[in-house]
Amino acid sequence: MTNSIDINLEIWRQKDSRAAGEFEVYTLQDISTDMSFLEMLDVLNEKLTREGKEPVAFDHDCREGICGMCGAVVNGIAHGPEPETTLCQLHMRHFKSGDTIVIEPFRSRAFPIVKDLITDRSALDRIIQAGGFVSINTGGTPDANAIPIPSATAELSMDAAACIGCGACVASCPNGAAMLFTGAKISQLCLLPQGQKERKERALSMISTMDSEGFGNCTNERECEAVCPKGISISNIARMNREFVKASLF
Amino acid sequence: MACSGLCLLLFLCSHAAGNATLFISTSLFQSYADQLHSHPLIVSVFSKGLFLVFAIHIVTGVLLFLQNRKARPRNYKVRTRAIKNSQASGSMIYSGLLICLFVLIHTAAVSFGDHGRIGVTIAEMFGSFLLSMFYILAFIALAVHLSHGFWSMLQTFGISHPNYTTFIHRLSYVVPLFFLLLFGTIPLLFLFGTGN
Ligand code: HEM
Ligand code: FES
Repeated sequence: MTNSIDINLEIWRQKDSRAAGEFEVYTLQDISTDMSFLEMLDVLNEKLTREGKEPVAFDHDCREGICGMCGAVVNGIAHGPEPETTLCQLHMRHFKSGDTIVIEPFRSRAFPIVKDLITDRSALDRIIQAGGFVSINTGGTPDANAIPIPSATAELSMDAAACIGCGACVASCPNGAAMLFTGAKISQLCLLPQGQKERKERALSMISTMDSEGFGNCTNERECEAVCPKGISISNIARMNREFVKASLF
Repeated sequence: MACSGLCLLLFLCSHAAGNATLFISTSLFQSYADQLHSHPLIVSVFSKGLFLVFAIHIVTGVLLFLQNRKARPRNYKVRTRAIKNSQASGSMIYSGLLICLFVLIHTAAVSFGDHGRIGVTIAEMFGSFLLSMFYILAFIALAVHLSHGFWSMLQTFGISHPNYTTFIHRLSYVVPLFFLLLFGTIPLLFLFGTGN
């Protein structure tokens, strides 16, 4: 059954990275509860465009929860109220008619605002560039099972690899820390045989890049794990801490 | 943070053991204090070391707090925590500063007092209702601080394994409660006149 609801929106509008920015209030009528959150924003933007106003800029790409491009803070929670759900996969049925929905960009010193809800998250890319890869000589396609990996280990690595790099961990952390992202990326590779060669350098250089990008420090608030759309566990942060100590001492 | 926290935790254990003698009698406590002070070298090394550890913990704690505040120059309009029981972790700096105030008052009263009659000093101190209440308030702050700090320390050291999650979770209640009960009942004992 399709229902429709009327909603009030309070959205952060900011012309460019240097502008001051402020909240603007909008009302939308007859929003189908089958719509995704981003479709609702599309409807708003069509309305704004027809009225000759500037549409709200927001990031998105796949709209199926796998690319990590979308993301905003909805009523104080990154990606909105549904656990393990990206903003593009959040549906309007989770809101009631008459609700006021406050939409803010991810806020962190390391994520400067580009426009409205769009932030520059390239700091995460630079952490990856610092060591989030394995260097292998390419040749013919290797046999899929040439390197035996215990299934439990493969699972742990795959769980970490589920990170889509959206930055919700940074946005939700009271300290603006990027430890869940970095922990997942380090774990994913250090668990596998292919990741052993660069294991120490990787941990040290990704962590030092993370620090120099202006992220805060983890104080184990667990907020990141609670909002992560892919359910990445903070045990990856503990693993990163072990990797850091091992790489520094031995 | 975690290393200095661990040192403070170890100190708390030894301090708790020493103070437990008060449950038996002030004279036993006095003889424990006399024993301790008959080894001036040990007392001097440990008290200076302890001061250093406190200083490190407080300075890094305050720096961490300031750095982390800077990492989010503008805060959210709506601040919702996805984690429900986040009161202890969000107030580490405040519970810490209250403990710091307590430590200053406590050392002023005890360390620089007359060690020869320390048992009597303690008994007199806890005769005061207000001072006893302040002590208990500080012990509650300590329990709150540890309820996040203990687990946080283990996570920082990388001590995390699915088999031990429940055990660690229980410890993070048991450890602070243990210290709260042990330290907290001492002033109560004297207040209600059962201490001797
Ligand atoms: C007997 C006294 C104290 C003990 C046993 C203690 C213990 C601990 C422990 C175990 C941690 C966890 C370290 C980690 O995050 O991994 C911690 C964190 C912290 N402590 Fe203390 N502490 C004491 C006193 C203080 C005082 C006096 C302050 C004063 C400012 C303070 C401020 C902090 C702060 C800011 C943190 C970091 C919070 C965080 O990482 O979430 N502590 N403490
Ligand atoms: S748009 Fe790709 S994850 Fe949301």
